[in-house]
Amino acid sequence: MSESKIVKLHGMLANKEISCTELTQTYIDAIQKDNAALNAYVTVTPETALSAARTVDEKIAKGETIGLLEGIPMTLKDNISTDGIKTTCCSKILEDYVPIYDATVWNILKKQNAVLLGKTNMDEFAMGSSCETSCFGGAKNPHNTDHVAGGSSGGVASAVGGNIAVYGLGSDTGGSIRQPASFCGIVGLKPTYGAVSRYGLIAYASSFDQIGPITTSVEDAAAVFDAVSEYDEKDSTSQGRKEAPVTDTLKNDIKGMKIGIAKEYLDGVRDEVKEAIQKATDIYQSLGAEIVYFDLPALKYALPVYYILACAEASSNLGRYDGIRYGYKADNYFDVNDMIKKTRSNGFGDEVKKRILLGTYVLSSGYYDAYYKKAQNLRGTIVNAFKNAFTGCDVILAPTVPMTAFENGHAVSDPIETYLTDICTVPVNIAGLPGVSVPCGFDKKGLPIGMQLIGNTFGEAKILNAAWQYENAANMFKAADFGVKL
Amino acid sequence: MVSKEEIMKIAILSKLFVAEDEIDGLTADMDKIIAFADTINNASDEGTDFDNINNLSNVLREDEVVPSYDREKILANAKDSDDGCFLVKNIMK
Repeated sequence: MSESKIVKLHGMLANKEISCTELTQTYIDAIQKDNAALNAYVTVTPETALSAARTVDEKIAKGETIGLLEGIPMTLKDNISTDGIKTTCCSKILEDYVPIYDATVWNILKKQNAVLLGKTNMDEFAMGSSCETSCFGGAKNPHNTDHVAGGSSGGVASAVGGNIAVYGLGSDTGGSIRQPASFCGIVGLKPTYGAVSRYGLIAYASSFDQIGPITTSVEDAAAVFDAVSEYDEKDSTSQGRKEAPVTDTLKNDIKGMKIGIAKEYLDGVRDEVKEAIQKATDIYQSLGAEIVYFDLPALKYALPVYYILACAEASSNLGRYDGIRYGYKADNYFDVNDMIKKTRSNGFGDEVKKRILLGTYVLSSGYYDAYYKKAQNLRGTIVNAFKNAFTGCDVILAPTVPMTAFENGHAVSDPIETYLTDICTVPVNIAGLPGVSVPCGFDKKGLPIGMQLIGNTFGEAKILNAAWQYENAANMFKAADFGVKL
Repeated sequence: MVSKEEIMKIAILSKLFVAEDEIDGLTADMDKIIAFADTINNASDEGTDFDNINNLSNVLREDEVVPSYDREKILANAKDSDDGCFLVKNIMK
């Protein structure tokens, strides 16, 4: 099984087997050595990291007890605001933007003396499935660097999978935590909408965006989720964690748990992935869970509904980039309107522009009812379909992605083909549900396959419990040959 | 089929320039994307009214003045500022 790195390192720090400064320096050295191959980090922050490490060492020297996440080296996706540390969204338009405040998630972790190693690569404004729309070039897959790490949180997944960060926080709008976690053979949790504060997360599509952990084990994902799921008055959609800490019930027996499978999730999924899911159901049965099959026909519309609504929200959210208050500003222009247009046209990449155009199109007069309104109504249908599904099962098991990591450069060619890779991940965001991706096998080329456990609203405890039991029984985690060996 | 003219119109609304040599490729891409979005109109299902996720209601607070950020820090991210303000070209003559 994949043991908890956080628990192990916490023990080593508390027992003075290693100092936090030594541990942090080990990770900084590993980044120096391996980041050229992985392109996971876009900003490395050794001084911030070592300063936090010294604080932890002083506490330990004084005999004070330290918290579980205290002194653990980690990373943040580069759309999570960090006071005084560049936050670029991997876009030219924010290439030199330095936030003057911390995102709530970072504020929480900073107070616990988390050691921030740096900010990690992503698709520009989180728009993409391969990390290749990043203005810094894509992050690479630690299991095979000829393949992508996935997207949009590709940098976090590459860093955590490549052992140059213990854990990281990403954001998931249509699969951006789960898909790269699946591609890199690690764990990614997209929490319930509202469970984790979005304050300070640079917005893509506000009714879908959610911050969550990317880790090498389910236990680590549970620990980080418990730490960051707090009510926050600065985010009007924040609700915090509604139940007891998920760590409390993580290792509970799952005898009698009903695991649902909807055949629509398996349509068009590659055979190797289907086989891996089939093997997972066998394991669940051997653990005493009951497999129930049902239909979820509403899923058919999930992908276009997602793209219409997410792009509509993006076209509004990205209206703020005008060159006036922050970020890139065009050099030569004749009036304000010309300046704004030139700034946006030079500052945004192609994928971002396409999504702004689609969003503007579906919201424009004459098209609003046919696209935006219709998609909102179908969103209601999908929400109800999931509600109904959870009357017959506790969690839903599905593939995370219909395939494994594509080769570098492959995703850029056809826009629709790339969008189709999100087919298994977007329904969760549409319905605001929690979903966790867990490694469940390897394809013929040795690339990881991931499976997804989906829960009802605020059902993180159940999906993580089911994920932990599977991880413990199936033992599908394999460390990539990069970074720090523990 | 989406036309070049429609794309140009949407680009103006989006405050984006589309260069002459990009318009054909962009129209072709946008045509595929819009055709894909159009598939929702094949749904026999009219859908259900949906106004928000997880039944959230508006969160309001008292209209109280609270400390904000330092003006100098805010302006540090702007390319041009003057006398404590963001600097832009004249909007009106």
